[in-house]
Amino acid sequence: MFTWLDFKYALRLLFNAPKFTAMTLGVLIGGLSISLFTFSFLYSTVYKPLPITDGDTAKAVAVFENGKYRYLRGFEYLQIKDSLSSLAEFGVYDNADVRVTVKQSGKNYIGSYVRAGFFEYSRTLPIIGRVINANDSVSGAVPVALISYDIWQNEYQGSDDVLNESIILNGEITDVIGVMPEGYRFPNTSKIWLPLSDEVLDATADNRGYFYGFARIKSGVNLAQAEQEMSQAVNQTYQHYAKLYDLPQLEKKVKLLTFQMAQTGNDGGIAFAFLMSVSMLILLLACINVGNLLLARSIERQKETAVRAALGAKTYRLVSQLMWEGIIIASVGGVLSVLLVGAALDYTEVAIHSWLPSGGSFWWHYGMDGVTLLMAVVFTLITILLSAFLPAWRSAHQDVNATLRDGTRGAQSKKSGRISRFLVTAQVFLVATLMLIGSISGYIAHKLINIEMGDDYQNVMSVRFTIPANKYPESQQQIALLQSLMSKLSQNPSLVGVISHNWIGESRVMLDGREYLSDDDKPLIDTVAIVGNTETIGIDLVAGRQFTHLDKIDRQKVAIISQSMAQRYWPGESVLGKHFSVNVNDKNEEVFIVGIVSNRMNPRSMFGKISDADEIYLSGLQFADPFQILLYKVLPNSQDADEIFYQAMFATDRNIEIVYAVQEASANRNKMRESMNLMSNITFGTGFFALLLAMVGIYGLTANSVAQRTHEVGIRRAVGATDQAILKMFLKQGAKQLIVGLGLALLLFSLISVVFHSFTEGIFPVYFYFTQAISVVVGLSVVVMFAIYMPSKRAVKMEPSTALRYE
Amino acid sequence: MSVLITLEKVSKTFLTDEIETRAINEISLAIEQGEYVALSGQSGCGKSTLLSLLGLLDSPSTGQYTLAGKVVSTLTRNQRAEIRSKEIGFVFQSFNLISDLTVLENVMLPLTYQSGLTKKVIEDKANAVLEKVQMGHRKNHFPSQLSGGQQQRVAVARALVNDPKIILADEPTGNLDSTNAEAVLQLFEQLHREGATICMVTHDAASAQRASRRLEMFDGRLIKDSANQQQTTNNVQAIDVAVG
Repeated sequence: MFTWLDFKYALRLLFNAPKFTAMTLGVLIGGLSISLFTFSFLYSTVYKPLPITDGDTAKAVAVFENGKYRYLRGFEYLQIKDSLSSLAEFGVYDNADVRVTVKQSGKNYIGSYVRAGFFEYSRTLPIIGRVINANDSVSGAVPVALISYDIWQNEYQGSDDVLNESIILNGEITDVIGVMPEGYRFPNTSKIWLPLSDEVLDATADNRGYFYGFARIKSGVNLAQAEQEMSQAVNQTYQHYAKLYDLPQLEKKVKLLTFQMAQTGNDGGIAFAFLMSVSMLILLLACINVGNLLLARSIERQKETAVRAALGAKTYRLVSQLMWEGIIIASVGGVLSVLLVGAALDYTEVAIHSWLPSGGSFWWHYGMDGVTLLMAVVFTLITILLSAFLPAWRSAHQDVNATLRDGTRGAQSKKSGRISRFLVTAQVFLVATLMLIGSISGYIAHKLINIEMGDDYQNVMSVRFTIPANKYPESQQQIALLQSLMSKLSQNPSLVGVISHNWIGESRVMLDGREYLSDDDKPLIDTVAIVGNTETIGIDLVAGRQFTHLDKIDRQKVAIISQSMAQRYWPGESVLGKHFSVNVNDKNEEVFIVGIVSNRMNPRSMFGKISDADEIYLSGLQFADPFQILLYKVLPNSQDADEIFYQAMFATDRNIEIVYAVQEASANRNKMRESMNLMSNITFGTGFFALLLAMVGIYGLTANSVAQRTHEVGIRRAVGATDQAILKMFLKQGAKQLIVGLGLALLLFSLISVVFHSFTEGIFPVYFYFTQAISVVVGLSVVVMFAIYMPSKRAVKMEPSTALRYE
Repeated sequence: MSVLITLEKVSKTFLTDEIETRAINEISLAIEQGEYVALSGQSGCGKSTLLSLLGLLDSPSTGQYTLAGKVVSTLTRNQRAEIRSKEIGFVFQSFNLISDLTVLENVMLPLTYQSGLTKKVIEDKANAVLEKVQMGHRKNHFPSQLSGGQQQRVAVARALVNDPKIILADEPTGNLDSTNAEAVLQLFEQLHREGATICMVTHDAASAQRASRRLEMFDGRLIKDSANQQQTTNNVQAIDVAVG
């Protein structure tokens, strides 16, 4: 009965103050929606159980080599697979793009090479046909494949006779042996499953091949035990093979991760924690604002509360009565947020699956679900606690006698003033922290969107592939295959040029005539092995010559360097013919400079100028590698530009393993730019919303604080204070809170910057952090001082006689 | 004695929800320097509004107000504030001390709004007036730690600190018990004897009786303006005692 009366009273109050209700609701919906959406998105991406039977027990095998995230090697798997007592299921697979040829053209699908037991592990059987068994992996077995429901529908129009059909995969006629159910894309985005042959798995130990592992732990065995047993087994096997094949010394540690966590390189937890912290900060900001607005309301009704208390109302009645306004606003805000977030998640589901060529991981399903709803309830309860309960509790515990007595309003306003000042300081701290963190990510996004690459990818196609090491174990054989492939490509009339490109990495360089005290003193320079002409991809020759077919393994080793390197180490000199030593694969190689080319963006010059870091190009005929990126330029408007490569590849060797299918070379960059643009927009939007929240909040807090001090303003005016003196007083007080809040935020930012600077190995210059800090300090100061100035200005306009009568 | 305050046909009109209320209706009045004026009348007759106009807390809607020979009815807000800080002292019924400031800081307040005064000068002046009202020993306390009578004595000290030309008191004894009320009235009488000009709004006939001049208001108009015989007699007695 009483509750109903209180509820009705609170509703009446809210209806009587539509502006207050709308503002409070708006702030709350914003904060709740951002937090809820972030939670749901991250949870679905990282933590939700796989949408397959027993998905919660499925684990991906991650092998950390000296702390670096890697996978299992084939020989390791073969050696340990039957000896592990802690695992119930254990297997390996590999992913690769598969070319499906239909008539004269083809399509690329993401495929997985799997072995017997793979489909059983995923607890899913084909709707037609059979799964891959051990015989399918035997050398010389008839090529077979399972296809996805989509391929069955699109390529075979859902024909029941599909098992009698063949399909040309990577140029090879392959029997279709089964069709997987609709939506099945295990282990990630696959649409075709082929046998992983014994031959590939059992390649020599110096084969660089890694395989993805999957496992399920036996019941009764805990995760740590299983990881320990696997780590020991993998380490023992590797040490044995390291001695046999002179492999580098590595310490290996196995971790069994969820598939989602493995996808993030085991960093999902950090990303989840970081992004959730940011979104929770926004919720906290919203709660502070709403709480303050409700606190202001409860202070306005302080006398009424005191009268109720004097009439015998118990604390819990007062608290509950005062809380109803907050409960109604938080509940309505919670419901509206759920609806808003539901719509946003549905849109995200459609957008992500249509935007990503692979459709995204099969567990990426975004939408309102039980966990999100539960979290909405939790967030709403947190909001009620922070923004409704605490102000109500505070108001209900006022000094009733003091409030009812005349002339002692000061005792109450002093306490309220302290709370207001604390809240403004807290707001400034939170917003400054958000803006400082946001400014880094915003800057990264901006930089990456507008980056000058130093090359020209117009009409250039790219493909990444591996030369099968089991078939071409010698460097000479690999080079011969590569040359043959490039030669066949060049015969196509649509082709303008072709270059193979193998990024060796950062290499230590020793320049002639210079002394280095330690390895760390030697410059680290990005090194790329190429075959072909750099002008194919817009890297122009400035002096000297390009590599030729004569720059091969038994000749003097040669190098082409970037202009920046020539100017940095030999300023004003002619560098052609000079030599230096470069460390490639733990071996110092003496190379002679034969050419200088224009500068190119590389990871170390990404956040600076294009000339900040240098490049060395070595002849790919002298430094062979099975992994290659092939870039070829075609005539404008060439039809089926991707088919040019596949025809050449099938004519050369269909066993070349495609890692990434042929696509426009700029495709990845465009995707990166699009995603950076999205990130930039999200960062900007979140930062803007946080700033808006801060403005509304600080304006509300100041307006409240000024209103509470209206009588004091009247007294000050009565004894002679001018408008400027009163304004100065409020601004000075605001400035104090600003300085404290900003100071704390800058302190935290300094710590974050130090960690970030060290983590990113100095990717940003130190002055960048200062620039960001100054920008945020200036921007936020202007906004905060404006938010303080406006209500203060209004307050001083009141005549002193009116201010003195203000209750 | 010279004329300190002159009001010529001063009116004050308030507009609330399109209803016009004339709180002061064409009042003409002169107060001489050194006068102790009691302003009385029924509740809502416009006493406090008139006091606000006299104290430049508000400006008249029509008419002219001259203070110490200067027309002040048309001054800007800041000019009025400057006059308040230098020439007017206020004492309110509800003391109106700022709770976050100590007794000393409250008393120093009017001087802090004057330019050219050093902190030491301000502190010395504030200490002196606190001693005068016998509140020097509580100067570091906050208002909430004082009794009502003590708070009002501090308020009087604040009104005196800038050596005002006139002290305006709005029901200064209204919130006090009889003992404290008597102490405040005696303080006013002492200030009057020392030459201060005082204008006090009061309901209490006995308090009004102690002023040298008594004004009575009704419905926004002055209906009675009379010299107070008892106060004149008291003054004569006081002078006799002083002369010996």
